[in-house]
Amino acid sequence: MLYLQILLNGLLLGGLYALIAVGFSLVWGVLNVINILHGTFIVLGSYIAYFAHLYFGIHPFASVIISGSVLFCLGYVIQAGIINRVVAAPVLMTLTLTFGLDLLLNNAMLIAFTADYRKLILTDSLGSYDLWGLILPLNRVAGVGLAALLTFGLYRLLRDSNIGRAIVAVRMDREAATLMGVRVNRINAVTFALGALMAGAAGSIFSIIYPISPINSGLFLGKAFVICILGGLGSVPGAMIGGIALGVIESYGALFFGPEHSTTLAFVILIALLIFRPTGIMGRKGYE
Amino acid sequence: MSENIAQLEIKALTSGYGEIQVLWGIDVGISAGETVCIIGSNGVGKSTLLRTISGIVKLTGGSITLDGVSLNNATPEDVLSAGIVHVPEGRRLFSAMSVRDNLLMGAYLRKDKSAIQDDLEYVYHMFPILAERRRQDAGTLSGGEQQMCAIGRGVMGRPRYLMIDELSLGLAPRAVDLLFEALHNINQSGVAILLVEQDVMNALEFADRAFVVDQGKIIVSGNADEVAANPLVQEAYMGVV
Repeated sequence: MLYLQILLNGLLLGGLYALIAVGFSLVWGVLNVINILHGTFIVLGSYIAYFAHLYFGIHPFASVIISGSVLFCLGYVIQAGIINRVVAAPVLMTLTLTFGLDLLLNNAMLIAFTADYRKLILTDSLGSYDLWGLILPLNRVAGVGLAALLTFGLYRLLRDSNIGRAIVAVRMDREAATLMGVRVNRINAVTFALGALMAGAAGSIFSIIYPISPINSGLFLGKAFVICILGGLGSVPGAMIGGIALGVIESYGALFFGPEHSTTLAFVILIALLIFRPTGIMGRKGYE
Repeated sequence: MSENIAQLEIKALTSGYGEIQVLWGIDVGISAGETVCIIGSNGVGKSTLLRTISGIVKLTGGSITLDGVSLNNATPEDVLSAGIVHVPEGRRLFSAMSVRDNLLMGAYLRKDKSAIQDDLEYVYHMFPILAERRRQDAGTLSGGEQQMCAIGRGVMGRPRYLMIDELSLGLAPRAVDLLFEALHNINQSGVAILLVEQDVMNALEFADRAFVVDQGKIIVSGNADEVAANPLVQEAYMGVV
Protein backbone atom coordinates (compact mmCIF):
# COMPACT_ATOMS: atom_id res chain seq x y z
CA MET A 1 0.00 0.00 0.00
CA LEU A 2 2.87 2.36 0.80
CA TYR A 3 4.33 1.81 -2.66
CA LEU A 4 1.00 2.47 -4.25
CA GLN A 5 0.60 5.65 -2.24
CA ILE A 6 4.08 6.76 -3.30
CA LEU A 7 3.21 6.01 -6.90
CA LEU A 8 0.06 8.07 -6.59
CA ASN A 9 1.97 10.95 -5.01
CA GLY A 10 4.51 10.69 -7.81
CA LEU A 11 1.83 10.77 -10.49
CA LEU A 12 0.20 13.81 -8.93
CA LEU A 13 3.54 15.58 -8.66
CA GLY A 14 4.31 14.53 -12.24
CA GLY A 15 1.11 16.03 -13.61
CA LEU A 16 2.17 19.37 -12.19
CA TYR A 17 5.74 18.94 -13.41
CA ALA A 18 4.42 18.34 -16.92
CA LEU A 19 2.74 21.73 -16.80
CA ILE A 20 6.02 23.37 -15.74
CA ALA A 21 7.87 21.82 -18.62
CA VAL A 22 5.44 22.02 -21.48
CA GLY A 23 5.82 25.76 -22.11
CA PHE A 24 9.57 25.68 -21.59
CA SER A 25 9.85 22.79 -24.01
CA LEU A 26 7.67 24.50 -26.63
CA VAL A 27 9.82 27.63 -26.60
CA TRP A 28 13.04 25.65 -26.72
CA GLY A 29 11.80 23.40 -29.50
CA VAL A 30 10.26 26.04 -31.75
CA LEU A 31 12.46 29.08 -31.18
CA ASN A 32 15.66 27.30 -30.16
CA VAL A 33 15.62 29.65 -27.18
CA ILE A 34 16.45 28.28 -23.74
CA ASN A 35 14.21 30.51 -21.71
CA ILE A 36 15.88 31.11 -18.36
CA LEU A 37 12.94 33.36 -17.49
CA HIS A 38 10.60 30.39 -17.28
CA GLY A 39 11.08 29.78 -13.55
CA THR A 40 10.52 33.45 -12.77
CA PHE A 41 7.39 33.43 -14.94
CA ILE A 42 6.04 30.60 -12.79
CA VAL A 43 6.79 32.51 -9.58
CA LEU A 44 5.14 35.62 -11.02
CA GLY A 45 2.06 33.52 -11.76
CA SER A 46 2.06 32.38 -8.14
CA TYR A 47 2.23 35.97 -6.88
CA ILE A 48 -0.65 36.97 -9.13
CA ALA A 49 -2.68 34.09 -7.67
CA TYR A 50 -1.58 35.02 -4.14
CA PHE A 51 -2.60 38.66 -4.40
CA ALA A 52 -5.77 37.87 -6.33
CA HIS A 53 -6.70 35.58 -3.46
CA LEU A 54 -5.59 37.96 -0.73
CA TYR A 55 -7.32 41.09 -2.01
CA PHE A 56 -10.20 39.80 -4.09
CA GLY A 57 -10.77 36.34 -2.70
CA ILE A 58 -10.31 34.75 -6.10
CA HIS A 59 -9.59 31.03 -5.95
CA PRO A 60 -6.19 30.17 -7.50
CA PHE A 61 -7.87 27.84 -9.98
CA ALA A 62 -9.91 30.78 -11.24
CA SER A 63 -6.95 33.15 -11.24
CA VAL A 64 -5.29 30.83 -13.76
CA ILE A 65 -7.15 32.97 -16.28
CA ILE A 66 -5.64 36.18 -14.90
CA SER A 67 -2.09 34.91 -14.49
CA GLY A 68 -2.24 33.16 -17.86
CA SER A 69 -3.43 36.33 -19.62
CA VAL A 70 -0.94 38.61 -17.87
CA LEU A 71 1.96 36.28 -18.61
CA PHE A 72 0.80 35.79 -22.22
CA CYS A 73 0.95 39.55 -22.78
CA LEU A 74 4.27 39.89 -20.97
CA GLY A 75 5.73 37.02 -22.98
CA TYR A 76 4.49 38.48 -26.26
CA VAL A 77 6.04 41.86 -25.51
CA ILE A 78 9.36 40.36 -24.42
CA GLN A 79 9.66 38.21 -27.54
CA ALA A 80 8.36 40.76 -30.05
CA GLY A 81 10.27 43.66 -28.50
CA ILE A 82 13.51 42.10 -27.36
CA ILE A 83 14.29 38.46 -28.14
CA ASN A 84 13.18 38.62 -31.80
CA ARG A 85 16.10 40.97 -32.43
CA VAL A 86 18.57 38.16 -31.78
CA VAL A 87 16.41 35.07 -32.23
CA ALA A 88 18.44 33.82 -35.18
CA ALA A 89 21.70 34.14 -33.25
CA PRO A 90 23.40 31.07 -31.74
CA VAL A 91 21.63 29.64 -28.72
CA LEU A 92 24.25 30.99 -26.30
CA MET A 93 23.30 34.55 -27.29
CA THR A 94 19.60 34.09 -26.57
CA LEU A 95 20.42 32.15 -23.42
CA THR A 96 22.51 35.05 -22.17
CA LEU A 97 19.72 37.45 -23.06
CA THR A 98 17.03 35.53 -21.19
CA PHE A 99 19.47 35.08 -18.31
CA GLY A 100 19.87 38.85 -18.13
CA LEU A 101 16.13 39.45 -18.37
CA ASP A 102 15.64 36.87 -15.65
CA LEU A 103 18.04 38.74 -13.35
CA LEU A 104 16.04 41.91 -13.93
CA LEU A 105 12.61 40.41 -13.41
CA ASN A 106 13.63 38.20 -10.50
CA ASN A 107 15.36 41.02 -8.65
CA ALA A 108 12.44 43.34 -9.32
CA MET A 109 10.26 40.72 -7.64
CA LEU A 110 12.70 40.44 -4.73
CA ILE A 111 12.44 44.20 -4.22
CA ALA A 112 8.68 44.26 -4.62
CA PHE A 113 7.75 41.14 -2.69
CA THR A 114 10.95 40.38 -0.65
CA ALA A 115 12.43 36.89 -0.47
CA ASP A 116 10.14 35.89 2.41
CA TYR A 117 8.12 32.79 1.77
CA ARG A 118 4.41 33.42 1.59
CA LYS A 119 1.73 30.82 1.74
CA LEU A 120 -1.63 30.99 0.13
CA ILE A 121 -4.01 29.35 2.57
CA LEU A 122 -7.33 28.30 1.17
CA THR A 123 -10.23 28.97 3.52
CA ASP A 124 -12.30 26.25 1.93
CA SER A 125 -9.76 23.50 1.34
CA LEU A 126 -11.18 20.37 -0.19
CA GLY A 127 -9.36 18.18 2.30
CA SER A 128 -8.54 14.64 1.36
CA TYR A 129 -10.38 11.53 0.40
CA ASP A 130 -9.70 8.00 1.49
CA LEU A 131 -9.87 5.66 -1.47
CA TRP A 132 -9.53 2.08 -0.17
CA GLY A 133 -6.68 3.16 2.03
CA LEU A 134 -5.07 5.50 -0.52
CA ILE A 135 -5.02 9.11 0.57
CA LEU A 136 -6.12 11.47 -2.20
CA PRO A 137 -5.30 15.10 -1.40
CA LEU A 138 -8.21 16.64 -3.26
CA ASN A 139 -6.79 20.13 -3.85
CA ARG A 140 -3.82 18.57 -5.48
CA VAL A 141 -5.96 16.20 -7.51
CA ALA A 142 -8.03 19.12 -8.76
CA GLY A 143 -4.84 21.05 -9.53
CA VAL A 144 -3.47 18.14 -11.55
CA GLY A 145 -6.79 17.86 -13.35
CA LEU A 146 -6.61 21.52 -14.31
CA ALA A 147 -2.97 21.13 -15.33
CA ALA A 148 -3.89 18.18 -17.53
CA LEU A 149 -6.70 20.20 -19.09
CA LEU A 150 -4.33 23.07 -19.91
CA THR A 151 -1.70 20.73 -21.31
CA PHE A 152 -4.29 18.97 -23.44
CA GLY A 153 -5.58 22.34 -24.61
CA LEU A 154 -2.12 23.32 -25.81
CA TYR A 155 -1.75 19.97 -27.53
CA ARG A 156 -5.03 20.41 -29.43
CA LEU A 157 -4.12 23.99 -30.29
CA LEU A 158 -0.85 22.87 -31.88
CA ARG A 159 -2.52 20.04 -33.76
CA ASP A 160 -5.79 21.48 -34.94
CA SER A 161 -5.59 25.23 -35.29
CA ASN A 162 -4.15 27.34 -38.06
CA ILE A 163 -1.82 29.13 -35.67
CA GLY A 164 -0.77 25.82 -34.10
CA ARG A 165 0.12 24.37 -37.47
CA ALA A 166 2.12 27.52 -38.21
CA ILE A 167 4.03 27.10 -34.94
CA VAL A 168 4.89 23.51 -35.81
CA ALA A 169 5.79 24.53 -39.36
CA VAL A 170 8.17 27.23 -38.10
CA ARG A 171 9.78 24.68 -35.84
CA MET A 172 10.36 22.25 -38.70
CA ASP A 173 11.37 24.57 -41.51
CA ARG A 174 11.51 28.31 -41.00
CA GLU A 175 12.04 29.20 -44.63
CA ALA A 176 9.35 26.88 -45.97
CA ALA A 177 6.97 28.36 -43.40
CA THR A 178 7.86 31.83 -44.69
CA LEU A 179 6.95 30.67 -48.19
CA MET A 180 3.52 29.68 -46.87
CA GLY A 181 3.03 33.31 -45.83
CA VAL A 182 3.78 32.71 -42.16
CA ARG A 183 5.21 35.79 -40.43
CA VAL A 184 7.89 34.03 -38.46
CA ASN A 185 8.48 36.88 -36.00
CA ARG A 186 4.82 36.94 -35.10
CA ILE A 187 4.74 33.18 -34.61
CA ASN A 188 7.86 33.49 -32.45
CA ALA A 189 6.08 36.00 -30.26
CA VAL A 190 2.91 33.90 -30.01
CA THR A 191 4.95 30.81 -29.16
CA PHE A 192 6.91 32.58 -26.44
CA ALA A 193 3.68 34.07 -25.11
CA LEU A 194 2.07 30.62 -24.98
CA GLY A 195 5.09 29.32 -23.08
CA ALA A 196 4.73 32.18 -20.61
CA LEU A 197 0.99 31.55 -20.34
CA MET A 198 1.61 27.93 -19.37
CA ALA A 199 4.19 29.10 -16.82
CA GLY A 200 1.77 31.63 -15.35
CA ALA A 201 -1.00 29.06 -15.15
CA ALA A 202 1.39 26.61 -13.49
CA GLY A 203 2.29 29.32 -10.98
CA SER A 204 -1.36 29.83 -10.08
CA ILE A 205 -1.93 26.14 -9.51
CA PHE A 206 1.32 25.76 -7.57
CA SER A 207 0.40 28.56 -5.21
CA ILE A 208 -1.90 26.22 -3.28
CA ILE A 209 0.85 23.62 -2.87
CA TYR A 210 4.20 25.35 -2.55
CA PRO A 211 5.24 28.39 -0.55
CA ILE A 212 5.86 31.38 -2.82
CA SER A 213 9.15 33.24 -3.14
CA PRO A 214 11.23 34.64 -6.02
CA ILE A 215 14.09 32.37 -4.98
CA ASN A 216 12.07 29.34 -6.08
CA SER A 217 12.50 30.24 -9.73
CA GLY A 218 15.79 28.36 -10.10
CA LEU A 219 14.20 25.23 -8.69
CA PHE A 220 11.36 25.35 -11.23
CA LEU A 221 13.79 26.01 -14.07
CA GLY A 222 15.92 23.03 -13.05
CA LYS A 223 12.86 20.78 -13.08
CA ALA A 224 11.86 22.04 -16.52
CA PHE A 225 15.33 21.19 -17.81
CA VAL A 226 15.30 17.67 -16.43
CA ILE A 227 11.81 16.98 -17.77
CA CYS A 228 12.71 18.19 -21.25
CA ILE A 229 15.71 15.91 -21.35
CA LEU A 230 13.72 13.00 -19.92
CA GLY A 231 10.79 13.35 -22.30
CA GLY A 232 12.46 14.72 -25.39
CA LEU A 233 12.45 18.29 -26.48
CA GLY A 234 9.57 20.30 -27.80
CA SER A 235 6.76 17.77 -27.75
CA VAL A 236 3.69 18.01 -25.55
CA PRO A 237 3.42 14.23 -24.99
CA GLY A 238 7.16 14.24 -24.25
CA ALA A 239 6.71 16.85 -21.53
CA MET A 240 3.86 14.80 -20.07
CA ILE A 241 5.89 11.60 -19.98
CA GLY A 242 8.99 13.40 -18.73
CA GLY A 243 7.03 15.21 -16.03
CA ILE A 244 5.33 12.08 -14.79
CA ALA A 245 8.60 10.15 -14.92
CA LEU A 246 10.34 12.81 -12.84
CA GLY A 247 7.48 12.95 -10.34
CA VAL A 248 7.52 9.19 -9.82
CA ILE A 249 11.32 9.02 -9.68
CA GLU A 250 11.47 11.77 -7.08
CA SER A 251 8.77 10.18 -4.96
CA TYR A 252 10.44 6.78 -4.85
CA GLY A 253 13.83 8.43 -4.53
CA ALA A 254 12.59 10.23 -1.43
CA LEU A 255 11.38 6.92 -0.02
CA PHE A 256 14.55 4.91 -0.64
CA PHE A 257 17.29 7.50 -0.25
CA GLY A 258 15.58 10.12 1.89
CA PRO A 259 13.83 13.27 0.71
CA GLU A 260 17.09 15.23 0.65
CA HIS A 261 18.36 13.03 -2.20
CA SER A 262 15.31 12.93 -4.42
CA THR A 263 16.56 15.81 -6.56
CA THR A 264 20.03 14.29 -6.71
CA LEU A 265 18.54 11.10 -8.10
CA ALA A 266 16.65 13.05 -10.76
CA PHE A 267 19.83 14.73 -11.92
CA VAL A 268 21.79 11.47 -11.93
CA ILE A 269 19.16 10.01 -14.24
CA LEU A 270 19.35 13.16 -16.33
CA ILE A 271 23.08 12.73 -16.84
CA ALA A 272 22.67 9.03 -17.64
CA LEU A 273 20.02 9.83 -20.24
CA LEU A 274 22.13 12.56 -21.79
CA ILE A 275 24.86 9.99 -22.28
CA PHE A 276 22.78 7.05 -23.46
CA ARG A 277 19.62 8.46 -25.00
CA PRO A 278 20.01 12.16 -25.76
CA THR A 279 16.70 12.33 -27.67
CA GLY A 280 14.74 11.52 -24.51
CA ILE A 281 12.23 8.77 -23.80
CA MET A 282 9.68 10.04 -26.31
CA GLY A 283 12.33 11.61 -28.47
CA ARG A 284 11.36 11.99 -32.08
CA LYS A 285 13.08 14.66 -34.02
CA GLY A 286 10.94 17.40 -35.46
CA TYR A 287 7.50 17.27 -33.91
CA GLU A 288 5.83 20.12 -32.06
CA MET B 1 11.10 35.46 -79.40
CA SER B 2 7.39 36.06 -79.15
CA GLU B 3 6.79 39.36 -77.40
CA ASN B 4 3.79 38.79 -75.17
CA ILE B 5 2.64 41.53 -72.89
CA ALA B 6 4.06 40.05 -69.74
CA GLN B 7 2.13 40.33 -66.53
CA LEU B 8 4.81 39.08 -64.21
CA GLU B 9 7.67 41.21 -65.40
CA ILE B 10 11.25 40.94 -64.20
CA LYS B 11 13.61 43.60 -65.50
CA ALA B 12 17.39 43.96 -65.10
CA LEU B 13 17.14 42.05 -61.85
CA THR B 14 20.24 41.82 -59.71
CA SER B 15 20.38 39.95 -56.44
CA GLY B 16 22.58 37.80 -54.26
CA TYR B 17 23.63 36.89 -50.75
CA GLY B 18 25.56 39.56 -48.87
CA GLU B 19 28.75 40.30 -50.76
CA ILE B 20 28.14 37.62 -53.33
CA GLN B 21 26.18 38.76 -56.33
CA VAL B 22 24.40 35.91 -58.09
CA LEU B 23 22.06 37.53 -60.61
CA TRP B 24 23.55 40.04 -63.01
CA GLY B 25 20.60 41.61 -64.78
CA ILE B 26 17.83 39.11 -65.51
CA ASP B 27 14.92 39.93 -67.82
CA VAL B 28 12.04 37.48 -67.78
CA GLY B 29 8.36 38.01 -68.48
CA ILE B 30 5.49 35.62 -67.94
CA SER B 31 1.92 36.15 -69.10
CA ALA B 32 -1.13 34.82 -67.36
CA GLY B 33 -1.75 31.17 -68.14
CA GLU B 34 1.60 30.63 -69.81
CA THR B 35 4.20 27.93 -69.21
CA VAL B 36 7.79 29.05 -69.01
CA CYS B 37 10.89 27.12 -68.12
CA ILE B 38 14.23 28.33 -66.91
CA ILE B 39 17.10 26.01 -67.62
CA GLY B 40 20.78 26.10 -66.84
CA SER B 41 23.46 24.20 -64.93
CA ASN B 42 23.97 24.02 -61.21
CA GLY B 43 24.76 27.23 -59.39
CA VAL B 44 23.97 29.70 -62.16
CA GLY B 45 21.27 31.48 -60.19
CA LYS B 46 18.02 29.74 -61.14
CA SER B 47 16.94 29.13 -57.56
CA THR B 48 18.12 32.57 -56.49
CA LEU B 49 15.84 34.04 -59.16
CA LEU B 50 12.82 32.26 -57.71
CA ARG B 51 13.86 33.14 -54.16
CA THR B 52 14.16 36.79 -55.14
CA ILE B 53 10.74 36.81 -56.80
CA SER B 54 9.15 35.27 -53.72
CA GLY B 55 10.76 37.84 -51.43
CA ILE B 56 13.03 35.56 -49.40
CA VAL B 57 16.08 37.18 -50.95
CA LYS B 58 16.02 40.96 -51.36
CA LEU B 59 16.78 42.26 -54.82
CA THR B 60 19.68 44.69 -55.13
CA GLY B 61 18.64 46.25 -58.42
CA GLY B 62 16.15 46.13 -61.26
CA SER B 63 12.47 45.49 -60.74
CA ILE B 64 9.77 42.87 -60.28
CA THR B 65 6.23 43.90 -61.17
CA LEU B 66 2.96 42.02 -61.28
CA ASP B 67 0.28 43.63 -63.47
CA GLY B 68 2.23 46.85 -63.18
CA VAL B 69 2.41 46.78 -59.37
CA SER B 70 5.92 46.73 -57.95
CA LEU B 71 6.93 43.74 -55.83
CA ASN B 72 10.43 45.10 -55.22
CA ASN B 73 9.97 45.44 -51.48
CA ALA B 74 7.31 42.75 -51.07
CA THR B 75 7.52 40.27 -48.21
CA PRO B 76 6.93 36.58 -48.96
CA GLU B 77 3.45 37.10 -47.52
CA ASP B 78 2.73 39.94 -49.99
CA VAL B 79 4.00 37.89 -52.92
CA LEU B 80 1.79 34.97 -51.92
CA SER B 81 -1.23 37.23 -51.49
CA ALA B 82 -0.57 38.60 -54.96
CA GLY B 83 -0.99 35.07 -56.31
CA ILE B 84 2.59 33.93 -56.79
CA VAL B 85 3.39 30.60 -55.12
CA HIS B 86 6.88 29.15 -54.86
CA VAL B 87 7.40 25.38 -54.56
CA PRO B 88 10.98 25.29 -53.27
CA GLU B 89 13.83 23.07 -54.30
CA GLY B 90 13.99 19.85 -52.31
CA ARG B 91 10.24 20.00 -51.60
CA ARG B 92 10.77 21.36 -48.08
CA LEU B 93 7.72 19.62 -46.67
CA PHE B 94 7.05 19.76 -42.94
CA SER B 95 8.24 16.22 -42.49
CA ALA B 96 6.64 15.23 -39.18
CA MET B 97 3.30 16.80 -40.10
CA SER B 98 0.63 14.81 -41.87
CA VAL B 99 0.09 15.13 -45.60
CA ARG B 100 -3.21 16.86 -44.94
CA ASP B 101 -1.64 19.37 -42.55
CA ASN B 102 1.08 20.10 -45.09
CA LEU B 103 -1.57 20.82 -47.70
CA LEU B 104 -3.45 23.02 -45.25
CA MET B 105 -0.26 24.99 -44.58
CA GLY B 106 -0.36 25.92 -48.26
CA ALA B 107 -3.68 27.63 -47.57
CA TYR B 108 -2.38 29.36 -44.43
CA LEU B 109 -3.23 32.88 -45.57
CA ARG B 110 -6.66 31.99 -46.87
CA LYS B 111 -9.79 32.54 -44.82
CA ASP B 112 -12.35 30.91 -47.14
CA LYS B 113 -12.83 27.68 -45.20
CA SER B 114 -15.25 25.89 -47.51
CA ALA B 115 -13.19 26.72 -50.61
CA ILE B 116 -10.13 25.34 -48.82
CA GLN B 117 -11.98 22.06 -48.33
CA ASP B 118 -12.88 22.03 -52.04
CA ASP B 119 -9.26 22.62 -52.97
CA LEU B 120 -8.16 19.78 -50.68
CA GLU B 121 -10.52 17.50 -52.59
CA TYR B 122 -9.15 18.91 -55.86
CA VAL B 123 -5.59 18.04 -54.82
CA TYR B 124 -6.65 14.58 -53.62
CA HIS B 125 -8.35 14.06 -56.96
CA MET B 126 -5.24 15.17 -58.81
CA PHE B 127 -2.97 12.92 -56.72
CA PRO B 128 -5.07 10.02 -55.37
CA ILE B 129 -2.06 8.60 -53.54
CA LEU B 130 -2.06 11.70 -51.31
CA ALA B 131 -5.69 11.04 -50.40
CA GLU B 132 -4.72 7.53 -49.37
CA ARG B 133 -1.85 8.83 -47.25
CA ARG B 134 -3.47 11.97 -45.92
CA ARG B 135 -2.89 11.00 -42.30
CA GLN B 136 0.65 9.80 -42.83
CA ASP B 137 3.65 11.98 -41.96
CA ALA B 138 4.94 13.71 -45.06
CA GLY B 139 8.45 12.49 -44.25
CA THR B 140 7.37 8.89 -44.82
CA LEU B 141 6.38 9.50 -48.46
CA SER B 142 8.56 8.49 -51.39
CA GLY B 143 10.37 11.23 -53.29
CA GLY B 144 7.77 11.39 -56.04
CA GLU B 145 4.90 11.47 -53.55
CA GLN B 146 6.67 14.21 -51.62
CA GLN B 147 6.91 16.28 -54.78
CA MET B 148 3.19 15.70 -55.38
CA CYS B 149 2.52 16.88 -51.86
CA ALA B 150 4.72 19.94 -52.41
CA ILE B 151 2.91 20.84 -55.61
CA GLY B 152 -0.43 20.14 -53.95
CA ARG B 153 0.62 22.45 -51.12
CA GLY B 154 1.43 25.08 -53.74
CA VAL B 155 -1.95 24.66 -55.40
CA MET B 156 -3.64 25.14 -52.02
CA GLY B 157 -2.39 28.73 -52.13
CA ARG B 158 -4.67 29.36 -55.17
CA PRO B 159 -1.81 30.64 -57.33
CA ARG B 160 -2.07 32.60 -60.56
CA TYR B 161 1.62 31.96 -61.03
CA LEU B 162 3.11 28.71 -59.76
CA MET B 163 6.90 28.64 -59.57
CA ILE B 164 8.47 25.22 -59.21
CA ASP B 165 12.13 24.72 -58.44
CA GLU B 166 13.58 21.42 -59.68
CA LEU B 167 10.50 19.34 -60.32
CA SER B 168 12.25 16.13 -61.31
CA LEU B 169 15.51 16.16 -59.37
CA GLY B 170 16.23 12.70 -58.01
CA LEU B 171 12.86 11.20 -58.99
CA ALA B 172 11.98 8.05 -60.89
CA PRO B 173 10.99 8.62 -64.55
CA ARG B 174 7.45 7.36 -63.94
CA ALA B 175 6.95 9.84 -61.13
CA VAL B 176 8.33 12.61 -63.35
CA ASP B 177 5.80 11.78 -66.07
CA LEU B 178 2.97 11.89 -63.55
CA LEU B 179 4.15 15.23 -62.21
CA PHE B 180 4.44 16.80 -65.66
CA GLU B 181 0.95 15.57 -66.46
CA ALA B 182 -0.33 17.16 -63.26
CA LEU B 183 1.43 20.42 -64.09
CA HIS B 184 -0.19 20.35 -67.50
CA ASN B 185 -3.61 19.99 -65.88
CA ILE B 186 -2.90 22.77 -63.41
CA ASN B 187 -1.87 24.98 -66.30
CA GLN B 188 -5.06 24.08 -68.17
CA SER B 189 -7.02 25.39 -65.21
CA GLY B 190 -5.53 28.81 -65.91
CA VAL B 191 -2.42 28.89 -63.71
CA ALA B 192 0.79 30.18 -65.28
CA ILE B 193 3.75 27.95 -64.55
CA LEU B 194 7.36 28.98 -64.14
CA LEU B 195 9.47 25.88 -64.02
CA VAL B 196 13.12 25.72 -63.07
CA GLU B 197 14.51 22.43 -64.27
CA GLN B 198 17.75 20.61 -64.94
CA ASP B 199 16.07 17.98 -67.06
CA VAL B 200 16.28 20.15 -70.15
CA MET B 201 14.55 17.79 -72.57
CA ASN B 202 11.43 17.37 -70.47
CA ALA B 203 11.33 21.05 -69.58
CA LEU B 204 11.51 22.21 -73.18
CA GLU B 205 8.87 19.72 -74.19
CA PHE B 206 6.57 20.99 -71.46
CA ALA B 207 6.97 24.75 -71.70
CA ASP B 208 5.75 27.33 -74.23
CA ARG B 209 8.80 29.50 -73.76
CA ALA B 210 12.24 28.99 -72.30
CA PHE B 211 15.06 31.01 -70.82
CA VAL B 212 18.60 29.73 -70.49
CA VAL B 213 20.55 31.13 -67.55
CA ASP B 214 24.31 31.12 -67.32
CA GLN B 215 26.41 32.93 -64.72
CA GLY B 216 23.50 35.02 -63.53
CA LYS B 217 22.41 36.20 -66.98
CA ILE B 218 19.91 35.08 -69.59
CA ILE B 219 21.95 33.88 -72.55
CA VAL B 220 19.21 32.41 -74.74
CA SER B 221 15.47 32.96 -74.73
CA GLY B 222 12.53 32.29 -76.99
CA ASN B 223 9.84 29.77 -77.83
CA ALA B 224 10.70 26.39 -76.39
CA ASP B 225 11.16 24.72 -79.79
CA GLU B 226 13.44 27.56 -80.95
CA VAL B 227 15.51 27.26 -77.82
CA ALA B 228 15.64 23.48 -78.25
CA ALA B 229 16.97 24.00 -81.78
CA ASN B 230 19.61 26.49 -80.67
CA PRO B 231 23.05 24.93 -81.29
CA LEU B 232 24.46 26.43 -78.11
CA VAL B 233 21.71 24.82 -76.06
CA GLN B 234 22.01 21.52 -77.89
CA GLU B 235 25.72 21.39 -77.25
CA ALA B 236 25.78 22.55 -73.65
CA TYR B 237 22.61 20.99 -72.22
CA MET B 238 21.38 18.26 -74.51
CA GLY B 239 24.59 16.45 -75.22
CA VAL B 240 24.33 16.97 -78.98
CA VAL B 241 27.75 17.64 -80.52
